[in-house]
Amino acid sequence: MTDVPVLSELNAVVLKIEVALGDRVREGDTLIVLESMKMEIPVAAPGDGTVTAILVKERQVVEEGQKLAALGTAEIGDVQHDQPMTP
Amino acid sequence: MNWRAELKELRLREGLSQEMGGADKVKRQHDSGRLTVHERINKLVDTGSFHETGAIAGSAIYDEHNELASFTPSNCVFGRACIDGRPIVVVGDDFTVRGGSADASIYEKPLMAEQMAAKFRLPIVRIIEGSGGGGSVKTIETKGRANLPGGVSTSLGFHYTTANIAAVPVVGLGLGSVAGLGAARLAASHYSVMTKSSAVFVAGPPVVARVGQSLSKQELGGWEIQTRSGAVDHAVDTEEEAFACARRFLSYLPSSVHELPPKLASDDEPERRDEGLMHAIPKDRRKVYKVRPIIEAVVDRGSFFEMGTMFGRSIVTGLARLDGRAVAVMASDPYFYGGSWTATACQKLVRFVDLAETFHLPVVYLMDCPGFLIGLEAERAATIRHGVRAMAAINQTTVPWCTVIIRNCFGVAGAAHQPAGRLALRYAWLSGYWGSLPLEGGIEAAYRAEIDAAPDPVAKLSEIEQRLNKLRSPFRTAEAFWVEEIIDPRETRPLICEFARLSDKLITPVPSAFPMRP
Repeated sequence: MTDVPVLSELNAVVLKIEVALGDRVREGDTLIVLESMKMEIPVAAPGDGTVTAILVKERQVVEEGQKLAALGTAEIGDVQHDQPMTP
Repeated sequence: MNWRAELKELRLREGLSQEMGGADKVKRQHDSGRLTVHERINKLVDTGSFHETGAIAGSAIYDEHNELASFTPSNCVFGRACIDGRPIVVVGDDFTVRGGSADASIYEKPLMAEQMAAKFRLPIVRIIEGSGGGGSVKTIETKGRANLPGGVSTSLGFHYTTANIAAVPVVGLGLGSVAGLGAARLAASHYSVMTKSSAVFVAGPPVVARVGQSLSKQELGGWEIQTRSGAVDHAVDTEEEAFACARRFLSYLPSSVHELPPKLASDDEPERRDEGLMHAIPKDRRKVYKVRPIIEAVVDRGSFFEMGTMFGRSIVTGLARLDGRAVAVMASDPYFYGGSWTATACQKLVRFVDLAETFHLPVVYLMDCPGFLIGLEAERAATIRHGVRAMAAINQTTVPWCTVIIRNCFGVAGAAHQPAGRLALRYAWLSGYWGSLPLEGGIEAAYRAEIDAAPDPVAKLSEIEQRLNKLRSPFRTAEAFWVEEIIDPRETRPLICEFARLSDKLITPVPSAFPMRP
């Protein structure tokens, strides 16, 4: 098991933190919701695992590449590109 | 009398050239997980199709009787081969011979590879490792003088680097450490791929250390750096995957600007209507959706080939097929700034649209653009200048164009959704939503006096917003014929396949009026 950083892919504001330290999450679950250009942008778990760190607060400004959280996880998938079309 | 003895010597010399830099160097290459240049070429091209030019060129040592004692081939290997039965030129660096550096290459070899691609109108694949035939400081000692970059008789290579990008498909594969001239040859391509264990940089760690940065190869020029910077289009785990990417990229393109893209038979029904499209766009405008499944749902099944995934990410670009015809597809990705045009997305768009124009590919644009990215960082990045450049690139195209507005269309970036001043096809989904500028913030600017004078400014703002929202139904716009058609999103595939078929009559194998740049 490795600690995997969850990074922001863009400059944004943290709108909501949807998980708590120690939560078990599944790959693709929303961990944090960012806001940019008035849109809500979910940050998904890159794999199944446990939330081992939350490094930001709601309303905090974050930059592209900034570490938002960490996940203790066994396997990492490519969430952004693998999910099916959803309503 | 016959020529058997001479033939024997030819075969001997050819055999020696296959040994490359020798067993030790080949082992070292393999031990680090990399293939040799000959293995790479054989895995890239159709089996047995490689015909090498200048195989026995290199440096030889002769004994006291003037008999060949040993031979080291040039570290540039090139020739013709076929990919999917179509001829190409392939040129590769042999890292086992003095690390691919210029002191063991023969300047005329990589040059002739480029000339061959240009004169015979063939795609060229550059397999790059090392300095790509560039010099090292040692060259000063071996030659006894310093090279003038671009000096007398050395600028022809750069001529072809520029000329070929406007004439034939150019693919760059960076496999290993790629520096200096090698990095330039990689970047001066239509499509570039590196393996994740490779590193690409203008100058490597020892040189960079002298300007005060102590970085590993990966930290300086690893795939995460180079794909996000847009210098390299794609990164893969294995060299075999890199070859597969090169073959796939070329499958959509003509062999040169003097031909049309190959048309294939499609086994995917052009009239196929994907039910999922009916609920692909959330009704809540603040919510995002995944755009790649939408692209997959409308193009020929399995035909979407994305390029530049990690760069300028608010726009997705790639090649695809519609009823068997190759097309260039652009789509907004709301996960990145809501699909806003950023400075980098605009740079990506310019290069992609130029590729489509150069190789006669009709363009399909699935747009959801709330405008340019706004804010201080966006201003600092000169978003507006990159933006008008992207708009100019679109306006300068002559290839057939079809835009499907799937959600937002706002502002100047929104206006650039099809080439200005010529007829393109345009469809808006039921979820279409547009205006000169968004209401949020726009109302405060336009109705300042009215809001300030109200006893309850917040209530007034919301009242105005409701009033305006009633007027912005896309049907009112269609009523005035400001937009031609609003469609059921499930009709998208049949309509864009029709567009691709109509485009058959319009695309001609005539070189673009302007040569594209890397």
